[in-house]
Amino acid sequence: MADQALRSDEALHSTAAIARHPIHPMLVPFPIACFVGTLLTDIAYWGTANIMWADFAAWLVSAGVILGLLAAIAGAIDFFSNRLIRAQASAWPHAIGNVVAMILAIINMFVHTHDGWTAVVPWGLALSAITVLILLFTGWMGGSLVYRHRVGVAP
Amino acid sequence: MRRRGRFPSQCAAALLCTCALTLAGCSDGDNSFDTQSQVGPNPNLPEPQQYLFPPMHLASVIGWKEGEKPTVPTGFKIEALATGLQHPRSLHVLPNGDILVVESKSPAVEPVTRPKEIVMHWIESQVTSGGGDTGPSNRITLLRDTNGDGKPETQSVFLDHLSSPFGVALVGSDLYVANTDSIMRYKYSEGDTKITEPGTPFLELPGGPIDHHWTKDLVANKDGSLLYVGVGSNSNAAEHGMEAEKNRAAIWEVDRASGRWRIFASGLRNPNGLTFEPQSGALWAVINERDELGPNLVPDYMTSVKDGAFYGWPYSYYGQHVDPRVKPQRPDLVQKAIAPDYALSSHVAPLGMTFYAADKFPEKYRGGAFVGEHGSWNRKQLNGYKVVFVPFRDGKPSGKAEDFVTGFVNDKDQARGRPVGVAVDKTGALLVADDVGNTVWRVTADTAPKVSSAGR
Repeated sequence: MADQALRSDEALHSTAAIARHPIHPMLVPFPIACFVGTLLTDIAYWGTANIMWADFAAWLVSAGVILGLLAAIAGAIDFFSNRLIRAQASAWPHAIGNVVAMILAIINMFVHTHDGWTAVVPWGLALSAITVLILLFTGWMGGSLVYRHRVGVAP
Repeated sequence: MRRRGRFPSQCAAALLCTCALTLAGCSDGDNSFDTQSQVGPNPNLPEPQQYLFPPMHLASVIGWKEGEKPTVPTGFKIEALATGLQHPRSLHVLPNGDILVVESKSPAVEPVTRPKEIVMHWIESQVTSGGGDTGPSNRITLLRDTNGDGKPETQSVFLDHLSSPFGVALVGSDLYVANTDSIMRYKYSEGDTKITEPGTPFLELPGGPIDHHWTKDLVANKDGSLLYVGVGSNSNAAEHGMEAEKNRAAIWEVDRASGRWRIFASGLRNPNGLTFEPQSGALWAVINERDELGPNLVPDYMTSVKDGAFYGWPYSYYGQHVDPRVKPQRPDLVQKAIAPDYALSSHVAPLGMTFYAADKFPEKYRGGAFVGEHGSWNRKQLNGYKVVFVPFRDGKPSGKAEDFVTGFVNDKDQARGRPVGVAVDKTGALLVADDVGNTVWRVTADTAPKVSSAGR
């Protein structure tokens, strides 16, 4: 039993890693924080019509997209180079969910290039909220992969 | 134990396709729209559209090759009056017939407040100062063509080291130059080819740090007691907040004796080409309206400027058409917003206007207006990039605008030049400043005498 678990841990190794530290979990906090920040600043602009908040939101969503793409590259390398990771129950919902979240965030980035009110209300705010909701789900799934199935965890 | 991931991957593919289609659909073209329906007093105004990828298309600048020149209607001739200039933007004809060419570049790059602006600055640098830039600008060059043959005997630097100048007005011996941040006054005596005495600051104007619409046009009224100054907005549609728009998007009236000023008219997003219509004596201007509401909104326009009037920007356009991007709105101002007199079509970017008060062009041109349309950048099909003629009768536009000087863009949508300021010289010829072609063009009527009867 213990042997089996050990083998499975080794099998679920991360490919995009530095000294056995997987890169994907190092990067994901950044886009998550940016997209949560986008939602908060969108709400602030919606409430105040103070253009400063819309400017913040534009920076946050753009930074989130760039950092999210970097995190996605590391995640995709792990996902596609290990059949056993793909076989995990949480892996597909995590991957698909994040692809959807990134597509929505990219659209949201362009919505945020509009001038003034329509950069945020209604579509920017709606996309920011949906993105964060999806991230709650995919983040949970990502947590399952690491903390329950020990993906990328050293034996 | 292993789960197959076929279903989710199909889902993802379907979703990707949908997104791609949505994006493609959003950047649909504007081929079917008749831009002529937006020329005249009652333009067709479609519903506002906002895009994920705004339609952008700018003519890359290639300059004029040897022997190439713009096209003029039959019965007219066009020749370069001066070449090798540095971004000539506006023209002023002095009483003795000398021509002042204001060569000007935009002030320092605007501070970046959003990631979008990094991209926009790059695009703008491609449109306005790409190609043909070979040296320092921000000066005024004097051209003297005493015998009126279209070949100046003198071309000299009249005034140098200015700060993004645009408007020039002469009252008696006081020459006023509108830099982007101030009006300067210089002593001028008839026949001067160079201003040597340093100028005196006359009036501060709204300048940096943003200074989005930076060209300050200037005109003096008939008796020289008042100056009118065009001060453009600091944004497209108030996206830097209304604090940044203080005293902007307006035409100021300045009392020349005291320097006191007031807002003469407001809600004018970017007013240029300030000129008095000769018959009615009314002040007219051309205005660049807002962008990013679609390829066919909002039409730029020319209008008589009424004292105390509000023309809508940023809250509304053409009267009560509210701009959804501007919050908080001001229904009180929208209610009193008036529609301008004459639309020139969307995104043509009129930057110069002059009335033809001379008599060398055929009858129909007399009293009408020539408008320099710098050309569009945010619609798929280029619009503008020409000088149009708007006939006038009894001090009002009396017909459709006609193309007058064209050929600035070739059949590959590359710009050889872009017209800006227009003026009528002492011989009754039309002058056109071409800021990326670095040329001043001179249009004469075939029937016009080759040599001025003024014969100085």
